[in-house]
Amino acid sequence: MTTVKPVVVAESLEARKASRLSVLGFFMALPPMLLVICFVGAPILIAFTFSLGWTTGPNRVVSIIGQEIHKKDQWWGTFGAYKDVFHDSRFPGDLRTTLLVTLISTTLVLTMALGIGIYQRMIGGRIASIMTILTLVPLFVPVVIASWAIHTFYAGDGFMRTLMSHFGIDFPTLTSTSTAIAIGTIWTSLPFAILMVTSGLQSVPDALIETAQDAGAGFFRIIRTVLIPLALTPIVIAGTFTAIGIMGSFTIPLFLGPNQPTMLGVEISNFFGSYNRPQQSIVMAFIVFAAASGIAFIYIWANVRSAKQSGRI
Amino acid sequence: MAEVVQQDGLVLNGLTKILGGRVIIDDLHLVVNKGEMVSLLGPSGCGKTTTLRMIAGFLIPDKGDILLDGKDVTTLGPEKRPSAMVFQNYALWPHMTVFNNVAYPLKVRKMQKPEIEKRVHDALGLVNLMHHKDSRPGQISGGEQQRVALARALVQEPDILLLDEPLSNLDAKLRVKVREDIRELQRRLGITTVIVTHDQDEALSISDRIAVMNNGKIEQFSTPQELYDRPETEYVANFIGSLNHVTGGYADGQIVPGSDVVGIRPEDVHFSNEQVSGSFPATVELVVPRGHFCEVYLKRADVELRAFISANVPTAGKQGFARIGKALVYHDGKLIRVA
Ligand SMILES: Nc1ncnc2c1ncn2[C@@H]1O[C@H](COP(=O)(O)OP(=O)(O)OP(=O)(O)O)[C@@H](O)[C@H]1O
Ligand SMILES: [Mg+2]
Repeated sequence: MTTVKPVVVAESLEARKASRLSVLGFFMALPPMLLVICFVGAPILIAFTFSLGWTTGPNRVVSIIGQEIHKKDQWWGTFGAYKDVFHDSRFPGDLRTTLLVTLISTTLVLTMALGIGIYQRMIGGRIASIMTILTLVPLFVPVVIASWAIHTFYAGDGFMRTLMSHFGIDFPTLTSTSTAIAIGTIWTSLPFAILMVTSGLQSVPDALIETAQDAGAGFFRIIRTVLIPLALTPIVIAGTFTAIGIMGSFTIPLFLGPNQPTMLGVEISNFFGSYNRPQQSIVMAFIVFAAASGIAFIYIWANVRSAKQSGRI
Repeated sequence: MAEVVQQDGLVLNGLTKILGGRVIIDDLHLVVNKGEMVSLLGPSGCGKTTTLRMIAGFLIPDKGDILLDGKDVTTLGPEKRPSAMVFQNYALWPHMTVFNNVAYPLKVRKMQKPEIEKRVHDALGLVNLMHHKDSRPGQISGGEQQRVALARALVQEPDILLLDEPLSNLDAKLRVKVREDIRELQRRLGITTVIVTHDQDEALSISDRIAVMNNGKIEQFSTPQELYDRPETEYVANFIGSLNHVTGGYADGQIVPGSDVVGIRPEDVHFSNEQVSGSFPATVELVVPRGHFCEVYLKRADVELRAFISANVPTAGKQGFARIGKALVYHDGKLIRVA
């Protein structure tokens, strides 16, 4: 009896301590949760009802000001604004440009980040360090300034054309093309991707690479079978962040891109401001949101995968 | 020289390595016969790992040659050397199953699938791990991981097996068991092996010969027995087993005034109640039980000696007679006499 008692007391003490901790944890998580609910969750919900033609309540004022507003004709709403967008002749081009620029830029960013990261991991040395530092420079240049710098570089009367004309080469004007958007987004996305990818590659222990060497594997086989699989999670995360960032970019396509077709970020702003069609602009925003959710799913998958591998779940 | 080149097994000839501006390995010579198991034994930082990494090809020596079965492999990369290394922390690839870890070297060699399967099964059978072939390294114990690493090295059928403190992450009991397993396998397969350790027990119990290292040099390279009985330097005597140090000389079983160092193994110090020839009066100061024997501190006038006694252990304060069975006499750190 006497030996059992203290154990029971200790256990209930432990349990009380644990439950106190969990209550404390809940209250610590509460402020950010409320913030997200009030300033992210609620606006998304309100915007969604507006896109379906709910024009009362918080959507009343925007419905009065905006043009071509669809009001709900079913109990759940209407797809009127969605039909508008899909029948708009500008939309398919915009969507294609957005997806294409996202795909191409993300691929190039990842390729460059992997190239530099692998070079630094496998070969190293001064050149690799200098290269990595240089690629981080864009991190400290505001996007607006970078956009104008790229503009003066590739414009019709820009640096590249002026320089090349000295050699009798007619360098193409890149401003107002999708190529310029890609150059700009790569420029701004590269630093973060490189930070993420190089740190992922650096965290692969030397011994795991050396064992592969010892087993007879060559340079490329080690990269393919050891280095990249072990750093896959940070690589995927870098890719998804880059893609979502590029898909929603605004400043760069606005300054460097063509008027038509352009990226949806710019078009959404046009619809909302210039054309005064808020409902249609929100529909486009939801389409971008859906595409980004697809990418976010890949991000979550990568996180779960790494948690599984390290035995956390 | 020409004779050395003909040698089968491993030959290290005047290896020198400078790292960070410091001479880490200094003109090191070592010959490991085919099928022999040799330990590199020494304190932390003496250059054991550096030596092993040069044998494996991860480091290229600044001077000297490495010969394997008569072939010069000094500048060959690790992927081209017929050696296999087991790292201290096992270095299993966490994203591959046990099977794929062991199969990797064979896949690199572009072996046929059925052949790979057979060899991996054989290797896993050798280390008793067939039941874990589909597990991930993170799901098995440290001892099992160690055996997977061993299987991955053995499956390559290397000319030489290199082990860098392969047991240091295991608990004491498992360490003894696994080291016996390794020794048994090594004997059975007749594979030339170099094992790095800083544990003298480990070295003494599994090696054919031991190279005791100090500051990038080999102090002595002999069999465990000889190393114990005739440590050529004071450093080796200290490192292998226990030793009483007395400054003086040694004559007729007595310590006499002098300037040499007399080293006496505690097991060579005997204590009894009766005086016999060569013994001298001593008092028991302290008795420390050490399991199957007792460590007894004896005092004679100005000298204190430790003795390992397993039968008729005296109690503290007892007066009696001590006798020295065997002494090693060192002059300037070098062995000059065994008496
Ligand atoms: N790349 C390097 N640059 C500079 N010094 C190095 C380098 N690698 C090893 N050293 C030094 O060389 C010495 C020997 O190192 P080594 O790893 O061979 O020791 P060790 O005998 O294996 O020791 P331990 O038992 O602690 O593993 C150490 O003093 C270490 O600091
Ligand atoms: Mg070491």
